[in-house]
Amino acid sequence: MNAKVLSIFCLFLVIAPFYVHGQESQIRLLNPSLELRVNERIQLEAEVLNAEGEVLPDTVVFFSRARRSLVVSREGELQAIKPGVHTISAMTLGMDRIRQDFEVMVLFPPITRVDWEQASHTFYTGTTLDLAFEVRDSLDAVRSIDDLIISSSNQSVFSVNEFNQLSLHAAGIAQLNVLAGTEQFSWPVEVVENKAASMSLAVTNSSSEAIKTGDVLHFTASVMELNGKPLANMPVQYSFVAYPDDQLGQGSSAQIAQDGRFVANHPGKYSIIARSGAIQATMNITVEPRKVRRSLEVVGKGIVPDVKTSDLWVWEGVDGRDYAITGTWGARGEAFLWDVTDPSNIHTIDTVQVDARTVNDVKVSEDGSIAVITREGASNRKNGIIILDVTNPSETTILSEYTDGLTGGVHNTFIYENHVYAVNNGRKYDIINIEDPRNPYTVGVFELDTPGHSIHDVWIEDGIAYSSNWGDGVVVVDVGSTNSADMPGAGGSPNNPTPLGSYSYPSGWNHAAFPFTSKSTGKFYVAAGDEAFPYGLDTQGPNRAAGWIHFIEFDGWDNPDEVARYQVPEAGSHNYWIENDVMYAAFYNGGLRVVDVSGDLMGDLYEQGREIALFLPSDPNAAIPNSTFTWGPQPYKGLIFLSDWNSGIWAVKLGEAQN
Amino acid sequence: MNTYTSIPFSLTFLAFKGYLANFVLLLLITCSINLNAQVYQVYVAAESDDVVQRVSFDANTNQGWVDATISVGKLPTETDGPHGLTISPDKKHWFVTIAHGNPYGYLAKYSTETHELKGTVDLGLFPASMEISEFTGLLYAVNFNLHGEMEPSTMMIVDPETMDLVAELPTGVMPHGTRMNSTGRKAYHVSMMSDELLEVDTYGFKIARRLALAPNMVTETTTEETGMEDLKELLNMDQSSGSRMGWMKEMNNQSASSDQHSHSSSRQTGRESDADALEHMEHKAHMHESAPLIKPTWADPHPNDAFVYVAGNGSNELIEIDVKKWAITRRIPTGTAPYNLEVSPNGKWLISSLKGAAATSVVDLSTGEELAQIANSRRVSHGVAISSDSKYAFISVEGIGGEAGSVDVISLEALERVAVVETGKQAGGISFFTLIE
Repeated sequence: MNAKVLSIFCLFLVIAPFYVHGQESQIRLLNPSLELRVNERIQLEAEVLNAEGEVLPDTVVFFSRARRSLVVSREGELQAIKPGVHTISAMTLGMDRIRQDFEVMVLFPPITRVDWEQASHTFYTGTTLDLAFEVRDSLDAVRSIDDLIISSSNQSVFSVNEFNQLSLHAAGIAQLNVLAGTEQFSWPVEVVENKAASMSLAVTNSSSEAIKTGDVLHFTASVMELNGKPLANMPVQYSFVAYPDDQLGQGSSAQIAQDGRFVANHPGKYSIIARSGAIQATMNITVEPRKVRRSLEVVGKGIVPDVKTSDLWVWEGVDGRDYAITGTWGARGEAFLWDVTDPSNIHTIDTVQVDARTVNDVKVSEDGSIAVITREGASNRKNGIIILDVTNPSETTILSEYTDGLTGGVHNTFIYENHVYAVNNGRKYDIINIEDPRNPYTVGVFELDTPGHSIHDVWIEDGIAYSSNWGDGVVVVDVGSTNSADMPGAGGSPNNPTPLGSYSYPSGWNHAAFPFTSKSTGKFYVAAGDEAFPYGLDTQGPNRAAGWIHFIEFDGWDNPDEVARYQVPEAGSHNYWIENDVMYAAFYNGGLRVVDVSGDLMGDLYEQGREIALFLPSDPNAAIPNSTFTWGPQPYKGLIFLSDWNSGIWAVKLGEAQN
Repeated sequence: MNTYTSIPFSLTFLAFKGYLANFVLLLLITCSINLNAQVYQVYVAAESDDVVQRVSFDANTNQGWVDATISVGKLPTETDGPHGLTISPDKKHWFVTIAHGNPYGYLAKYSTETHELKGTVDLGLFPASMEISEFTGLLYAVNFNLHGEMEPSTMMIVDPETMDLVAELPTGVMPHGTRMNSTGRKAYHVSMMSDELLEVDTYGFKIARRLALAPNMVTETTTEETGMEDLKELLNMDQSSGSRMGWMKEMNNQSASSDQHSHSSSRQTGRESDADALEHMEHKAHMHESAPLIKPTWADPHPNDAFVYVAGNGSNELIEIDVKKWAITRRIPTGTAPYNLEVSPNGKWLISSLKGAAATSVVDLSTGEELAQIANSRRVSHGVAISSDSKYAFISVEGIGGEAGSVDVISLEALERVAVVETGKQAGGISFFTLIE
């Protein structure tokens, strides 16, 4: 066989499978067009052809690959719901069925409204302004600025660049034109002479103390005419030049926002620059290390050797002694009672066993007499909660089992003013009156109405419930707000839970929420924590997690703003507690982190040297030996108690400064 | 699999030591056993351990063991709850329904060869039992919605090849126990909280018939429901008010306030007629009028004859339905709380797990007589899978709390438990895989 023949043979081998495949039966769609408007309906028609192109008698059935956007019946009645390109599938039935996908274009409705948010601005020559529009279509859906074609009627007066910024060149009037499909919108822009002659830069929240990493400085630039008269509405861009002390491959050393807020992550010298048109002002500052580091000592531990430990609660008993209760995970349905009065001698005093595999959450009432534990994996699948009398924690008794409507499993609870807020089946929280703990009854339920909503935890403070809802984020609900609440309520009560506000973020990892008012600034935040396991979870060995804590500043319930994060590289957040501007956070494989959250919060708190202490609990006799997986902390009487999934309960204490 | 015809080194060693006679004898025994080896394999889901395990049982030694443990689920620190199991007709894949998600459960597909995850598709609230129709090639799974409101749930139809959701049919309240007839043209399941048996036309994607199982319950025999209008309404509600549950509640509110009544069996192509829609709503209203008596939990068609058998979990009986007459023909009293059941492939026996009695019941279908009630190894008997040769029943038993679950192997010839294989906690869904001879 010569080379030419061999080549042809090889080519045949390569082509043959495709040729055969191309000769297989196929489904042919008979509709001339698959382009629809929203809400339009068409009947799909299809036929099945064999390899020879002959029509077969097979029935074709249809289904949608994007059911929220495109509805199609088995018989092919198609209705467009949402704009975009979506896929439908057509197939025959049977074990050797043929299936083909087809793309359907649902046209976007016409844009009918464009509002320019700076229309009343004063425009000065030589300056640049970010354009902002509110764009809506005929179905009142919000549309993107990317759907617009923006231009100037006179490029010599002003122009628009590819970042949708307005560059104002010369005094005069020109039209800002916006083309949205076939609709045209226009605004006259009068550009006036820029009389700015000088600029000053000041820090509005200056302090006599040295500036430290993590301190948020508020810079304000003032632009004046030659005669010293201030110019209003001058656009100002803020930037900085960093000269960090450590210049050995440093990453981002600081952050500045365009409202003038600046925070340094690392110590060093910084030049803050404000610019407006051709003038600028600079201020040099020196940033010192935050120096909050403290030592941490282990005071005591209670190792749980054979099962994994879940949540904990520490409280002062009615007898004045100190106690803790911990749950267990994926085990025998036990909760352990501990005497922690002497934290160097933590020891169990009682065990409550219920019909469950996981007792995920444990909570104790404020008066120290009642505990609530949750059940998952009950053999009768009724789950619910168990209410305990812990007046004498050495002889804990079950007062009642409550499963009404809670059969799906209760993952977390909170006790507040004689009511238990029980996260039910990952869908909602039930509000249960326990004034008579032997006869609890449900008085209210709160459930979102978003598609596929889900909930993980709930925490109550001043009569306001903060639930963590995965993709729906933090949801704030008035369940009987008090005067001490940071912001006004809405007249809610346990039997009338009334929504106040919410905040969600794209990852959908919202697992916990903890509200707090900054002692140092008076600002109100909700710390929203993630839970994520991108590397999976080995229930028999060491693990690592992902996710961080988001700090959301609420300036009004309808005005949340995510301002900062605390993220530990290569570890993930779980439960946490904030008290007196200190956050105690469990970061699973990252252990316990004690973090200074005083002052304004902005940017990456981890990078700012705010970490006060770190502790990685592990024990050779633990259920998972020599491995950290910290579940939750609780500051208590000068100590920090924590539960660790792998090892049990620990008590640690902050020591001297270590700077 | 292990090799059963290999000669152990120790035997060879013995021969060379002069124990030839013994060696020959041992060899003969070994070969005899191995040549007749019968190893049965089932898959079982441990609902509180988030694992699926393959259990093997050697009929010659009456020894069983777990030969594979596969972790399933997506929520690492919560219990995902693998519940239902089925195996593709070509035995290349096993499928498991995962009960809990955020919030919806899902179906996961794994290779039987490598136990590698091949795909998932979201289903509804607490998806449970399922089976693949050999007629359509599609998989039919019901959303048990075990912990939700007492409202109609759905059956979901999935292309198991690509793991795409093909259709969703409104069905009864807490539907469970989906099994195909031998042709794959009909799927049967029960509605636990409305005391009904439902027959699904697998080709037409519709509920073909409903049968009231309680003695004095009104029987609606010939209603055909397409479900597509309800599905559109569901999806539209998802759009407008956003909530699947909201749609369900609205349907209930509508049904609760409806006092209109119509009995029409007419059906318009692809769309539910007004009369059908009214009947559908009336039916839903009816379902909420009284507490269920039968609490049916499983349905299984006879492999050869035109009967379907239902487990009356609340009435402690097994119910035989003649599918030609669409009527109940026998009620067979049994032990406490029959839960799952299966007719042996040879059509002779009806095996049911008695959840309340922690036992397995074997009924002779020709006489209706209970041949035996065999104690299970622990409490909370759950699933039933019968070997293809009708010799063994494999019963999954949940256990309680930290107790291991188990697969109890019952000889249907000896009518006794011959092996117990401990599994993960809360052993539930179980499916017979293969017999290796």
